[in-house]
Amino acid sequence: MGNQKRIIVACGSGVATSQTVASKIETMCEDENINVNVEAVDIKSLESFIDQCDIYVSIVPTGLKDWGKPTISGIPFLTGIGIDEEFDKLKEMLHQ
Amino acid sequence: MSTVVNYILGLGSAIFLPIVMILLGLIIKMKPKRAIISGLTLGIAFTAMNMVLSFMFSSISPAASAFVKNTGINLSAIDVGWAPMAAIAWAWPYALALFPLQIGINLVMLALKWTDCLNVDLWNVWGKIFTASLVAAATKSIPLAFVAAIIQIVLELKSGDITQKQIYKITKIPGVACTHPMLIEAAILAPINRLLDFVPGINKININAQQMKEKIGVFGENSVMGFIVGALIAVFGGFDLKGILNTAMQVATALVLFPMMAKLFMQALAPIADSAGTFMKKRFKGREIHIGLDWPFMAGQSEIWVAAIILVPFELVIAVLMSKAGLNTVIPLAGIVNVIIIVPALVVTGGNLVRMIILGLIGTPIYLAIATSFAPMTTSLAKAVGTIQIPKGQFIAFFGVEMPELRWALVHGLNIIHGEIVGFVALIAFFGLFFWYAKYMKKRDIGDTVNIANNTNKTQKI
Repeated sequence: MGNQKRIIVACGSGVATSQTVASKIETMCEDENINVNVEAVDIKSLESFIDQCDIYVSIVPTGLKDWGKPTISGIPFLTGIGIDEEFDKLKEMLHQ
Repeated sequence: MSTVVNYILGLGSAIFLPIVMILLGLIIKMKPKRAIISGLTLGIAFTAMNMVLSFMFSSISPAASAFVKNTGINLSAIDVGWAPMAAIAWAWPYALALFPLQIGINLVMLALKWTDCLNVDLWNVWGKIFTASLVAAATKSIPLAFVAAIIQIVLELKSGDITQKQIYKITKIPGVACTHPMLIEAAILAPINRLLDFVPGINKININAQQMKEKIGVFGENSVMGFIVGALIAVFGGFDLKGILNTAMQVATALVLFPMMAKLFMQALAPIADSAGTFMKKRFKGREIHIGLDWPFMAGQSEIWVAAIILVPFELVIAVLMSKAGLNTVIPLAGIVNVIIIVPALVVTGGNLVRMIILGLIGTPIYLAIATSFAPMTTSLAKAVGTIQIPKGQFIAFFGVEMPELRWALVHGLNIIHGEIVGFVALIAFFGLFFWYAKYMKKRDIGDTVNIANNTNKTQKI
């Protein structure tokens, strides 16, 4: 568990959209035997969660606010379009 | 056979639905272990939601009755927000039938080119179930409940088409649309927004929403808002300091726990929603479509939070004033940061903060009135789901009821079988309005393409 990376996904209530993305990423990581902890949180409370994560998955346009964390877009995990590319980016970040 | 079915139904939603869930999971070839965990999680979700709801009522009930007694203001219906309403919806015996219904209608409409949206947001299926269960409660007719759900499914897809370009302009995320029912409210807000064009000076005010959000954003958090409103109720109920602080803390606890419990529903349903989504996406490879999503991909717009938070004190004042006039019994609480009206206002106004607030103010009384009118129904549905004790004379309400006018019109309009003519007329009128709205937004889209050069400024500011 020592170097398990923590990924945070945020959405309007931390329930539906973010959980969908989180479950998707979790399953994809599980399939490739990558050990991660993915958590869905409420975007209004993001400030209190962001410090505890290694990677932030944003479902709002990236660039609105820089949280100072490696960030990928969560939208491809919802639409299925460009999902492999975004997942590759995530894997690269995990290796760093 | 029917005794067996009745026996299983009689076990309660927390037992019955997990059984269905596990069977369904096995049918779509989930691993047995995952199917069982999904099913158990669903049962836990119901039980947990019930527990928090009971806890909340045990703390807020005495304060709320003291409030009514002390002030003479009859606010006896407590807004518990969307999370318990979702639980009520999922407990409807026909709930899971809405998945294939939504997917089927969507695929047919795409094939016939009646829509360009593929709605993969299978979480918000609960919104259709909720409407259906209300219609079923009012009309006592299951077929009519499904008619209502079908109407909502079709309108959501059309609403996704209609708003797609404006939402792209605001978010700059390509290939997506928002099929959340809250956006159907834009059909009501659009004509009001059009009228505002004739009010001089309204577009001149310039406010930096981002800066304001940093200052007042903390009031958007469930914990803070729950504490404040809980405290207010206890203060006006004449409680002592200890009572006030304890009520406030307990209400805050409930509001923070509601979404956490709702997340369990999501976790339970995610595998099914995921395989259904993948199934749908595979059908339309190659065609230019928009993927219909839940609303939060717009949640990065500061205007939403600023407008919704500014509305809060007005909502409370309006609730009290309307109650004096006998038009409202609802205390806005869990849904008090009412994005349900602000997000459609964002889309209709193109992110104009002042207009969003004005639309919010105009719309709030409608949400209160309809939440009031639904309160007896939502209360009896909640009682049917679980073992929650709601004292006589108190109600569970849903202030953030998406597209209240359409829901009201469906519940009463389809009840024409029992002679409710007014509701039916309202339903027809709503369809007419929706048609006008579709044309209004189309005109705006065309105008936007023409004025692209003038508009780049505005979108950057957002």
